[in-house]
Amino acid sequence: MTVEKAFIQLLNEHQKIVHKVCNLYMDSHTDKEDLFQEITLQAWKAYGNFRGEAKFSTWLYRVALNTAITFFRKEKKTAFIYSTDNIPDIINNEQDPIEAQTKAMYAAIGDLSKIDKAIVMLYLEDYSYAEISETIGITANNIAVKMNRIKIKLKEFTQQYYSNL
Amino acid sequence: MELDDFKNRLNQKLETNHLHLSERDLSVLLSKKAYSVIGKIKRSLWIEIISCILIAGIFAYIGISSKYRAVNIYFISFTIIFIPFTLVFVYLLKKTNEVNQSNLPIINNLQSLVKLLDEFIKRYFQFTMALIPICFVFSFILGYTEKKPIIELDQLIYKYKPSSGIAVSILIAYFGGLTFCTYYFTKWYLKKLYGNYIIELKNYITELKDAA
Repeated sequence: MTVEKAFIQLLNEHQKIVHKVCNLYMDSHTDKEDLFQEITLQAWKAYGNFRGEAKFSTWLYRVALNTAITFFRKEKKTAFIYSTDNIPDIINNEQDPIEAQTKAMYAAIGDLSKIDKAIVMLYLEDYSYAEISETIGITANNIAVKMNRIKIKLKEFTQQYYSNL
Repeated sequence: MELDDFKNRLNQKLETNHLHLSERDLSVLLSKKAYSVIGKIKRSLWIEIISCILIAGIFAYIGISSKYRAVNIYFISFTIIFIPFTLVFVYLLKKTNEVNQSNLPIINNLQSLVKLLDEFIKRYFQFTMALIPICFVFSFILGYTEKKPIIELDQLIYKYKPSSGIAVSILIAYFGGLTFCTYYFTKWYLKKLYGNYIIELKNYITELKDAA
């Protein structure tokens, strides 16, 4: 099997990681498509350095998050305004309280900074603080501090979200 | 409901595949153009290198073919000056090619990107500004020592007959104006290209360090 074929196969198996990053960092379909393409290209370029010391999924998360955070385009970008209309396949029944809470939380995460989103994403994947610290590059203690702050931000956002309903 | 309770639910929603890409589609993506800032710097450097080579070629031609000694020396000298400038850009391109930082931890990736951009901007600015005094000092010395009369220039002088004070004032104003315009244009151009982006990246680094 060629290197390219092996990479494509691995990427295909872990495609959901790239979709998660694209859904969280981009609002419109076109932007998601562009970011997906960019992550695929950057992962392919960096694949030669993948030694298999970490799991492919961990490595791909790192590449995908790095690409999403530093994504650069010439055209003027409009500020990212998180729209709950773009929440993927969510809430068919607004009356369902769990669905409504999920919607509020999704909107709250969308409102976070790029760095906080990266931490939340890894947290949602059940990565330990030590593992998150390896990907982010700051100590596990600092990750814990940041995570506490993020939880407060999310709580405040969701409370405000409900009070605005 | 706490954040933990949403994990599975949110993960499911986040994983939604809007693009529905097959292995074949993924394979096609590998041959597409990248938007990354590294790619952009590489393109800029290639443009600079090609421009330097083209300008050096044109200058060499003018330097060889002109009948004026001053013009010969001026343009040949600039052809020679453009060689190290081209080498500096080739060196920067080599350094940029070595940067493959996307699998680094996020903070290291941001720091290496900021370092690379700062270096690029610094060198680009130095290169542009260095050309102004070199250009003026050279043209002044060579124009002053030129034995053959430059007909077009002489015609202009005979027409307006400026005193030496006015001529020097015009030269100083021209030099000052060009330096001023080049300085601010280059600053504006580089800021427009990378300025806000660098600020954004530096803010992320500060945000990460703030947790400490």
